[in-house]
Amino acid sequence: MTPRFLRVARWEVERGADALDRRALAGVLLALLAVGAAAPTLASNAGTPDADIYPVAVSDSSPYHEPVERSGPLRPVAPGTDAVLEISGTEVRAPDSPTGRAAAEALASAVRAYNDRLMEREPDRAAAFPVSVRLRYVEVGGSTTGGAGASTSDSGDTGTDADSGGSGATDAGGTGGGSDSSGGGAASADSLGAAGSSLLGGVQQGTPGDIRPPFPLGSLVLAFLFLVPLNVAIQAYGASVLNERINRRGEALLVTPLSRSEIVAGKTLPYLLACVAVAAVVALAVGAGFLSVLAVSALAGLFLGCTFLAALFARSFKELTFLTTTISVGLTAYAFVPAIFTDVHPIASVSPLTVVVTQLTGAPVELGTLLVSMLPTALAALVCFGLGVGIYREEDLFTQRAPPAKAIDALAAHLTLRRCALWGALSIPFVLVAELFAVAVLFVLPLAVSVPLLLGALAAIEEVAKSLFLFAGFERGRLERTDATALRAGLLSGVGFAVGEKLLLITQLVGLPTLELGRLTVAPAAASGPAALVLLLAPFALHALTAATSALGARRSTRAYLGALGLAVLLHVAYNATVVTTLA
Amino acid sequence: MRERLVVAKRELASLRAEKTVLLAVAIQLFVAAFSSFLVVGLVALYAPGAAGGSATVAVAVSGNATDELAPVIDEGPAREALTYTAREDARAALERGRVDAAVHATLRPEGNVTVDAVVPEGSFRTTLAVAELGEAFEAFERQRRAELSERLERQPLPVPESPGGASFVGFTYTVLLPLLVFLPVFIAGSVAVDSLSEELERGTFELLRVTPLTLPEIVDGKALASAVLVPVQVAAWLVLLSLNGVRVADPLSVLLLAGAFGTVAVAGGSALALLVPERRSAQLLYSVGALAAFGGGLFLPVNPPNAVARLAIGSAQAGTHALVAAAAVVAVVGYAGVRALLSRRAVV
Repeated sequence: MTPRFLRVARWEVERGADALDRRALAGVLLALLAVGAAAPTLASNAGTPDADIYPVAVSDSSPYHEPVERSGPLRPVAPGTDAVLEISGTEVRAPDSPTGRAAAEALASAVRAYNDRLMEREPDRAAAFPVSVRLRYVEVGGSTTGGAGASTSDSGDTGTDADSGGSGATDAGGTGGGSDSSGGGAASADSLGAAGSSLLGGVQQGTPGDIRPPFPLGSLVLAFLFLVPLNVAIQAYGASVLNERINRRGEALLVTPLSRSEIVAGKTLPYLLACVAVAAVVALAVGAGFLSVLAVSALAGLFLGCTFLAALFARSFKELTFLTTTISVGLTAYAFVPAIFTDVHPIASVSPLTVVVTQLTGAPVELGTLLVSMLPTALAALVCFGLGVGIYREEDLFTQRAPPAKAIDALAAHLTLRRCALWGALSIPFVLVAELFAVAVLFVLPLAVSVPLLLGALAAIEEVAKSLFLFAGFERGRLERTDATALRAGLLSGVGFAVGEKLLLITQLVGLPTLELGRLTVAPAAASGPAALVLLLAPFALHALTAATSALGARRSTRAYLGALGLAVLLHVAYNATVVTTLA
Repeated sequence: MRERLVVAKRELASLRAEKTVLLAVAIQLFVAAFSSFLVVGLVALYAPGAAGGSATVAVAVSGNATDELAPVIDEGPAREALTYTAREDARAALERGRVDAAVHATLRPEGNVTVDAVVPEGSFRTTLAVAELGEAFEAFERQRRAELSERLERQPLPVPESPGGASFVGFTYTVLLPLLVFLPVFIAGSVAVDSLSEELERGTFELLRVTPLTLPEIVDGKALASAVLVPVQVAAWLVLLSLNGVRVADPLSVLLLAGAFGTVAVAGGSALALLVPERRSAQLLYSVGALAAFGGGLFLPVNPPNAVARLAIGSAQAGTHALVAAAAVVAVVGYAGVRALLSRRAVV
């Protein structure tokens, strides 16, 4: 006998196929094919939006005419006509405006490119290209790591990778066993215009013009192809779920002997499979491997999970459209931003797309990267579905409330005082996703700005995660509005949260020892030292204390909750700042 | 006309009641903030210092071409050269974290210089170091070429000075602004699909039909409500940008273009909602179709994002204005098509 949820799945597919008439299907396929066919062309000239945007007045006889002509953003016009730049002889006149400066910059790079082309034709190579550069990326112990990571000190791993090859070219670069030792030059295959640079492991070679920070543009554009189908799929999925809620259509399914999770699993499965299938096709087409599909399927789960909640919260299709757009934008950002830093910084591991980009650049995917990118995403997806299943019942499905109120309902649906610890632990995936994203967003800023911002952001994220469901519990009457209950609920939530955090530490110790982001986000306490035991226990005390603070506010009123939450965040920031400064 | 306005007002009121417009604006704000952040990040990667950071990249220099290379490295405002006599010492400085890069420069008998550069891997600072090194090496290359110029048959053109400080301009005009124009367009069509198909699915469309309103009036009103939001939102963005010192040369044409594309999207969305009764299929078709249309638009001789950029920068050509006119024509024809559709078939 087939599992019962498979019957729901089959029914969902059949009904979907019926509703989606042949013309519509043909239209979708045709449009998808057109997009697919155009994608490679678009990927290869991704610079089109800036084509010819700066007119440059230059006479035909000027030596600068050719560089201007061949440059993308510049366009030659006859002298005397309206132009951003004016070139007479070797003198360039640019207005002192942002546009003028931008155009002058474009001109400089156009001339540099022109010179390189000119020198290509010179017989005397040594004079034409008098400087040749070999750039190697090596693992350095106690490096001058900037970014946000530096603040928590690298005390854990100083100088283990002593310089082994001081004499000449033999140099065991990058053998330090880091999880990201394949980074660096591997990207130069498709870094912006790195023509002629050969790559051997972490090496970039060529003329000075070829030396560029690694930036896998081509792979990123291709990775975007994995995201497009997800954004389309959640439209259909969200509509299907909301459909059940219109005119009580879903009631028929609810009165069957099927359990709620079976219904939800059955309804979701076809869409998840479709996403995975499309991802597999895309992977075959662009040359990514099985791991890419695996990573993208975790992302697909999160897209669907969030959409499931959105469809349960929305009051109308219009509202659903806005919610799914928000999800699309937010999750696309979450997947895309960190992947940009694929070859630059381990923070990139946050995003499942990094696995795709890494595979596309031809580098091996480390286990640690795979775990960090998939685990929080997949867990967050599961928790989304768990919350949704909790309110997949008559009294919630067919009522109309504003989405925030619905969200409170979902959080409170099955909360009891005893389960507070579990809820605290279950919030970890979201916290991790949010915190990793915060780190990914903030780490490019100067340290003086990013560290305080980050400390504040992390504290706020964790405090909200620990206390929001408590607030929901009080609001919906699942928790008794007494100080004693509030204290116990807060303590349980904090302890559950701290335990969840420790579990993450274990995965880090197993597979991800070199991820500095881990040290900053989940636990400054990961640093070893004489105070290790104190640091191990301190987070429990901190989380319990701050969660209890918020809970005491939450039991009174919304305003009191917000006030108490602010206090908890401040306490948390103070704690973080203390840890950071004492360990630094 | 009054009937249409009544329908349009009702639509706008429902959007306001659900606060969905706020969400839409929040989405766009997020996209704008996020993509701006992205560019700040990327610019920081390529042009350290431009993003406001004051990081100085320290470079350890060794080798027999040190005397030539070190001054060039020191020239840059964000670079500092530390000279070492022994290569091992330079590497050791890198190991100890005292410098961001170690560079060994060797002058060959042919007169060229080979540079062996080592940077620590996997840190953000490395990217800054690589960007600065690339710049320094290019300056060094220019200097060496000039010194060896007798051996060259063709002389390289002098590179005009680039004043710097304009790294965000290109992005603002060619990415951010088109994004802020086309996002409302896309959302408008999606709202048009929803507002029709929702009434059809819930069965409330019948209620509207029994009012004194005619069918075209209902559709007109709904389309008007969705379409009018586009230029309004874009105008708001233009005002916001101008407050931030981003001057838009031809705001009227930009608004006209946005309005025209918005009307096209709304016409397409309405037609889909009327032709495909089920909301899910209609919405799916709309998103895929809009995506395909946008992608296809990039192949036009004047592509729409580029046109927006040119109108904003003030370097519009005849082709750019032709695109605006063409978009307006397509909008009128498209909406006429929807009306023709209404008169041809008794809807759903």
